[in-house]
Amino acid sequence: MSAELVALPATGGNAAGPATVARSASVTATRAARHAVRAGAVWGLAFGAYIASQALGYASAYPTRAQRAALAGQFSSGGLNALMGPARDLSTVAGYTAWKSLTVLTIVGSVWGLLSATKMLRGEEDTGRWEVLLAGRTTARRATAQTLVGLGAGLVTLFSVTAVITVILGRGSKVPMASGSALYFALSVTCGAGLYVAGGALAGQLVATRRQAAALTGGFFGVSFALRAVADTVRSLSWLRWVSPLGWVEELRPLTGSHPLALAPIAASTVAMAAGAIWLAGRRDLDASVFPDRSRARPRTALLTGPIGLAVRLGRGGLAGWLAAVLAETLLLTSVTSQEIKTLRHTSGATGVFTRLSGHAAIGKAYLSVVFLMVALVVMLMAAGQIVAARHEEAAGRLDHLLVRPVSRTRWYVERVALAVGIGLLGGLVGGACAAAVVSGQHLDVSARSVVAAGLNMVPPTACAVGIAAFALAVAPRLTAAVTYTVITWSFLVELLGGITASSRWLLDTSLLHQMAAAPARAPNLLSSGLLVAVSGACVVAGALIFARRDLVDE
Amino acid sequence: MSEAPIRTAGLSKRYGSVTALSDLDLELAPGEVLGYLGPNGAGKTTTIRLLLGLIHPSAGTATIFGLDARDDAVAAHRRLGYVPGEASLWPSLTGAETLHLLGRIQGRVDTSYRDELTQRFDLDPSMKVRAYSKGNRQKLVLIGALMTRPDLLLLDEPTSGLDPLMEQAFRECVHEARQRGQTVFLSSHILSEVEALCDRVAILRSGRLVDTGTLAQLRHLSSLTVEATFDGTVPDLSRVPGVSGVEVHGQQLRCQVQGEIEPLLKVLAHSRVHELLSREPSLEELFLAHYGPQHEEPHADVR
Repeated sequence: MSAELVALPATGGNAAGPATVARSASVTATRAARHAVRAGAVWGLAFGAYIASQALGYASAYPTRAQRAALAGQFSSGGLNALMGPARDLSTVAGYTAWKSLTVLTIVGSVWGLLSATKMLRGEEDTGRWEVLLAGRTTARRATAQTLVGLGAGLVTLFSVTAVITVILGRGSKVPMASGSALYFALSVTCGAGLYVAGGALAGQLVATRRQAAALTGGFFGVSFALRAVADTVRSLSWLRWVSPLGWVEELRPLTGSHPLALAPIAASTVAMAAGAIWLAGRRDLDASVFPDRSRARPRTALLTGPIGLAVRLGRGGLAGWLAAVLAETLLLTSVTSQEIKTLRHTSGATGVFTRLSGHAAIGKAYLSVVFLMVALVVMLMAAGQIVAARHEEAAGRLDHLLVRPVSRTRWYVERVALAVGIGLLGGLVGGACAAAVVSGQHLDVSARSVVAAGLNMVPPTACAVGIAAFALAVAPRLTAAVTYTVITWSFLVELLGGITASSRWLLDTSLLHQMAAAPARAPNLLSSGLLVAVSGACVVAGALIFARRDLVDE
Repeated sequence: MSEAPIRTAGLSKRYGSVTALSDLDLELAPGEVLGYLGPNGAGKTTTIRLLLGLIHPSAGTATIFGLDARDDAVAAHRRLGYVPGEASLWPSLTGAETLHLLGRIQGRVDTSYRDELTQRFDLDPSMKVRAYSKGNRQKLVLIGALMTRPDLLLLDEPTSGLDPLMEQAFRECVHEARQRGQTVFLSSHILSEVEALCDRVAILRSGRLVDTGTLAQLRHLSSLTVEATFDGTVPDLSRVPGVSGVEVHGQQLRCQVQGEIEPLLKVLAHSRVHELLSREPSLEELFLAHYGPQHEEPHADVR
């Protein structure tokens, strides 16, 4: 904001010429671009590292044609199609890399895009900074367009860094890939981010708060994912792929018979949504929205009895969404268990992967243990996200209103940790119970009790992630979100990739999820679970002591 | 003997090499209203956050009713109410829900007084916080602090964003609080507000307490302004003890008098004085006297 004001002439007034106006106008874009380019570069490096790890891991783990053919056979079933998209040409490094990367990176990029756009547009309006900006020499329409230009610079950076790494990778002897194909692949894995930047910008004009805008875009993303999953699972409904943005991305088919025509709906939707956002920004009042927000409500005070009740009240919408995600993921992956088992039994290559992931167990149990690994990621994000939300309360200055009343810091801190662990426990129970209910109808050799226990088995690593997040909140509050999401993402990627491709023991041990027994393939390990809980407890105790004695830190 | 509502001894706060507050020694008597003055960055908010235990001192101690502001914060907070200068509340809650929450956490609320305050401040409690203007959000935190009738009110620029009518309502509330025996620590930039409400004034500059006392004491220490118009020659005041800042325009004279005024009157008595005016300095003049260009400190970068 200050940069905007600094850009104005010292004499003020209306005497500034077009050059000054143009310079003032460019400041908004520069500011947005600075944030977006930095994030785009970091994510581009992460995208490139992920693609490289997939390609090089495949090349070293499956060096022979026979091994690759066996692998290709095992990954052609409905459940995995729903999650990852259809597997095409898995007998080549390029085909495998495209399959393993396209959906995962599109999801990550899309979430980044929608969060960035809602933060830079509606989020700035929520904080009042947009008002200061618009008081300068610009208009709402121009400021929105400039912010989108800045975010576009971030997208270009994301694409560029990903493309450079992919092209360099393709020039190596292990992963042969033409430069044109590598560029097209980089475009495919990053175009989803652009689409959801535009979607987030449009949602920010439609609803009244950043949270609502993120929820609306997230809901749109969820529907898009579900449509794509159905299209990839049920052959007669494959046309649904063309009504889902994630389906369009999948239809690009990078490295496996490119289909650039699918870029048309992606580009058209991105441009249309961005143009719509700019147009609507000029049509509405500041702080208003196309869909009017309810500014009045009857008081509902049932939960407003203390800090923990307040946290539940404020987070109940998000919590319901997370629980729905746990349910949907568990339902989606467990409903095809019988089909998966049949497919996997006929593929000898599957044994190696599942042995590494879940030990020497019956293939049905092994499959379910991998399902619980996937569900554990969502449960951990749901629970540890509570600590990130607690940090937001402190950063916004709202925690002051609680701590200047008879609420001890230790009580507030421990209650927030307990709530987060409780939510993790609820997630484990919901996931386990849902999986048990679905699996019991498929006549498998797995007891409902062991499946529920497998759900609860997710709680210790979740508690440990919560403990680490809580420790970060106490020691380095401004890094809480970064530490939390890095630990969880790292744990998941190391366990998943380490399971599929042989990895060092030391590396695997750095993953919290690797400490979790692969239930129901194996019985929950009480010792390792106890150790995870003990680490969590130590983090929380140390964190509580530090938090009680540190200064509150706002934004 | 009852404990002092606020007592600080050598209270200091440093952020790295920057000293935000230095060696603050301050004590409030029960039922007193203290005006805490200082420009932006003088250390007013830092003092209040130290008293609330939101930040911890680098040195020194602070007690609230004899309870350590840091180690006995929960017990101390049972007896105080706090109003920040910038009200950051939960946007999705309504005003009524916010007041209910704050009251439940505080543990004691005079509900009839809360409703009376809501009417006096003309607040619509059915609206969501995100829909409130800045002034209405400020009213909400004011009601939230006053409704518990705390023994001590810590007010950090409490009328920020209030219109003149609501500011008047606030002054009435502080008067009533004083009549009930509540102690008020009022940090403010609005000197007329401090002048109207406070028994005593403390002036802070660059993190240091530079003056404290009643308005009468401070005025006594400061200059009296004297303006005179003569029918004849303006007398020479250069050798009169206590007189300074003499300005002569034609037959009009203006000067400042520090201490006894008798020597000046003796000189004026021998002249043909047509008109004579004298007045005590306003709080604004006292404040400016502490912050005039001669007092500027280039390194005063505290908050």
